[in-house]
Amino acid sequence: MTVAPDPKQNRLLASLPRDELGRWLPQLEPVEMPLGQVLYESGRTQSHVYFPTTAIVSLIFVMQDGASAEIAVVGNDGVVGIALFMGGESTPSRALVQSAGQGLRLPASAVKHEFEHSVAAMHLLLRYTQALITQMAQTAVCNRHHSVDQQLCRWLLLSLDRLQGSELVMTQELIANMLGVRREGVTEAALKLQQTGLIRYSRGRITVLDRPGLERRCCECYAVVKKEYDRLLPDRIAS
Amino acid sequence: MTMPHTALAWPVCALELLPRADRQRLLALCEPFVLADVLCERSETTRHVYFPTDGFISLVTTVDERSGLEVGMIGREGMLGAQLALRVSVTPLRALVQGPGTAWRVGAAPFRREVARSAALQRGLNRYVYVLMGQLATCLRFHLIGPRLTRWLLMTQDRAHADRFRITHEFLAYMLGVRRVGITVAAGALQRRGLIRYHRGELTILDRKRLEAVACDCYAADCKTYSELIR
Repeated sequence: MTVAPDPKQNRLLASLPRDELGRWLPQLEPVEMPLGQVLYESGRTQSHVYFPTTAIVSLIFVMQDGASAEIAVVGNDGVVGIALFMGGESTPSRALVQSAGQGLRLPASAVKHEFEHSVAAMHLLLRYTQALITQMAQTAVCNRHHSVDQQLCRWLLLSLDRLQGSELVMTQELIANMLGVRREGVTEAALKLQQTGLIRYSRGRITVLDRPGLERRCCECYAVVKKEYDRLLPDRIAS
Repeated sequence: MTMPHTALAWPVCALELLPRADRQRLLALCEPFVLADVLCERSETTRHVYFPTDGFISLVTTVDERSGLEVGMIGREGMLGAQLALRVSVTPLRALVQGPGTAWRVGAAPFRREVARSAALQRGLNRYVYVLMGQLATCLRFHLIGPRLTRWLLMTQDRAHADRFRITHEFLAYMLGVRRVGITVAAGALQRRGLIRYHRGELTILDRKRLEAVACDCYAADCKTYSELIR
């Protein structure tokens, strides 16, 4: 690892009272989160929660026949593995690193202990859970009713909010898996966005050229989720 | 009358699941309430929480007046207003009474106080929220209308005290986020197979067991999660 991740890069960790974060620090282990890494599989119990700093993780619902779709995205805004403090026995979804980067992980026993003994930590994690619920519900209804290019806009905007810069490295195949559509649908949608000058998509690299334009093109689902996160969680860390 | 899922060990009311002291304090604060219509829209201040005894509620995400998706169902096994346990005062979803009946209703402020004073209540509510999150994740784009409709029918029957309910194709289409014609076709298929009878807006469950076999796995997964976490 070149430069260790800074806990303050994660919005939740940055929101903890200073002395509490101090208590967490010795137990927060910096980790690399490479593209495609499965942090945990559905149906399994987890050993850690993860606080991404620069990586982005997809929570993916996997069907019995193996087909999958993303139900939510977690980046420096949140934590992966809420089952551990919500009391869930196992997770129904798979957690997969969608965009490589770094993060910090905390062992199950530590997060449970903090959750049970610190009011501030508990409140923060519970409010984050509500934000995640809103994202999941909005993702579900967006999948049902909105066009692939609008869904692609939503997904791009949510991912970009969790990254530095305006670029994302992602194959069309992977995006198709995220959105739960056929690859051809993504190709077509990406082409439309490119043709209207909103993005450039070349060799697996997506660059957003016109962010306001992308927001206008998008269905209301992005704004609903963003508004809820901003309302529930403390101010974004200045970048 | 066909029996609901035999593995369900649901309470008469979710209040029953609370530790005795918590339950008694909450019951003292409850008033009976007749469930009807829309209990709340999204983004309202939470005024009450509800523990249905009969009747049940659909949680719906909407994108505009006509389009939405049911993302959760609450009957006697649960409660409406769990966001208070997450320290959130605003309603996250529209709550629509789907099956008429009654509930115990408690004001938001006294309920918040109870949650703050009882770690057991907080833990129970956290697990229940987790069950609801599992329902949220269900039936994404891959499950076909037939199995999704079947899942919905089973969940409804579990919460209704009857095998028969009045429901329109429009309403089902709204709940499942599909076009009306899709419901008509799917319901027609279930009827032809003798699993339901659906006539003039009245739907009767005829063969529970076979419906369970047709439903997408989201139904069984939800039952399992509930029984693992709650009862």
